[in-house]
Amino acid sequence: MNALANGVGDIVRFENVGMRYRLGAEVLHDVSFSLPAGSFHFLTGPSGAGKSSLMRLMYLAHRPSRGSISMFGRDVSTVPRTELAALRRRIGVVFQDFRLIDHLSALDNVALPLRVAGAKEGQIRNHVAELLKWVGLESQIDDKPTTLSGGEQQRVAIARAVIARPQILLADEPTGNVDDDIAIRLMYLLEELNKIGTTVVVATHNESLIERFKHPCFHVEDGLLSGPGVGVRNDRDPGGDQ
Amino acid sequence: MIGQVRDVPLSGDPASRYLPWTVGLLVFLATLAFAAGMFLASAGDTWRQDLSGTLTVQIPVSDKADRLEQVNAVAELLRTTPGVVFVRPIPDAEIAVLLEPWLGKQVLELELPMPDLIDVSVTRAADIDIAALSARLAQVAPGTVVDDHAIWLRRLTEFTLIAETISFAVMIVILISAVATVVFTTRTGLAIHSDVVEVLHLIGAQDSYVARQFQNHTLRLASAGAAVGFLLGAGIIWLAHVYGGKLSGGLLPELALGPGQWALLAALPVAAVLLVVLTVGITVKRVLGKMM
Repeated sequence: MNALANGVGDIVRFENVGMRYRLGAEVLHDVSFSLPAGSFHFLTGPSGAGKSSLMRLMYLAHRPSRGSISMFGRDVSTVPRTELAALRRRIGVVFQDFRLIDHLSALDNVALPLRVAGAKEGQIRNHVAELLKWVGLESQIDDKPTTLSGGEQQRVAIARAVIARPQILLADEPTGNVDDDIAIRLMYLLEELNKIGTTVVVATHNESLIERFKHPCFHVEDGLLSGPGVGVRNDRDPGGDQ
Repeated sequence: MIGQVRDVPLSGDPASRYLPWTVGLLVFLATLAFAAGMFLASAGDTWRQDLSGTLTVQIPVSDKADRLEQVNAVAELLRTTPGVVFVRPIPDAEIAVLLEPWLGKQVLELELPMPDLIDVSVTRAADIDIAALSARLAQVAPGTVVDDHAIWLRRLTEFTLIAETISFAVMIVILISAVATVVFTTRTGLAIHSDVVEVLHLIGAQDSYVARQFQNHTLRLASAGAAVGFLLGAGIIWLAHVYGGKLSGGLLPELALGPGQWALLAALPVAAVLLVVLTVGITVKRVLGKMM
């Protein structure tokens, strides 16, 4: 069933999802929630609670061990493998450790999503240069990640995540390695993206950011998802929104 | 140039550093094995064509007085035999040339008792009863033997078939070794660059995009190695052609390949490179297929 077509309007929909790594213990239990298009959510919880695992499920790096996940109205378990790549292109990810490719320049790192999508080389350079200017890195366009500061690497990672105009942006601890000023600037950047229609999920420990930027917040603890955020439906958490 | 960016930094990998050498050596050996197989096949064909449709009649040593008379009588009888199209008594000088590899150039001066030989051509369709013909010829010249080369032809066919099979089997084993080497190199490359490969995968790269990164890298290295390996192999074959005849003393046919065979041989490094590149693609896709 196509959830978007049925008026649900959810970009992401989890139903009773469980997740384990290989044969290990389950790290997420009965997670059910949905994210409407254009929403902005925080995802909090202590280290090891399952935030990154939940993010991995959302950016299609891992299959759930049970339950079902729909992205953009499509049940990912039924999507042919060759079409998963196209779904991933609609998801922008800022990894916790940025995961920039060291031997490529800032420009080439940011260009990667366009290149894998088959964009013409002639169009890539101007587009990427424009975005790097937007994140304040116009003078570091040809620099390698190893020569950039943590904050600059982070902005390159964000530029790479948004260059292909994803429908949803998932940022895993994006402010973990930068000072508060840069973290706040980064949040404004993400809010700007949200204003132009991008659904945003930010996994963070940073309580001051959550206080300052008033967005719904999911909380993960011991593999259970809860919180007052819109669309949360956790069967094990009667306090969560249904 | 932005268009020439290689997302996966494969050029510095220790495993791929040896790839051109490995492919070069394997193509060199495969070239020699393939050439040997083709040479044996064509040599066998030449021998078979030379011998089939021919008979050799051997008249034992006799008194010089009777010798010419006996040879002429046998030749005459042969000419009247149905199916025989050509009869030629072989002159002593020609027999001496045949014996030269064993007895040296002074064979005639040794005045050795030599049998008379008659070269006979028969029509391919002729089904001559060799035993009956021998019996008739023996009445004219006792002890005369007719050799239709059947035993020699059978052994020759068996030998060339076995040798050809071994040559081509060696070539196949060499190509399998190349495939195994490339699978190992590719898997090592994937393991070394798993972080980059995972990033490409997660930002939406199709498996074929990642595979092309590895294939382009391998194509460059394998082409260089295969070209060198083939040129070395071709050089050895050319040397065998130039010096092989001299060394074999006329016992073996000329060690030469025809234009068609050279074309087939030249296709070998191309096929080897294509095989290697195809193997890389399949290996990468199989490994990535285990990811979501």
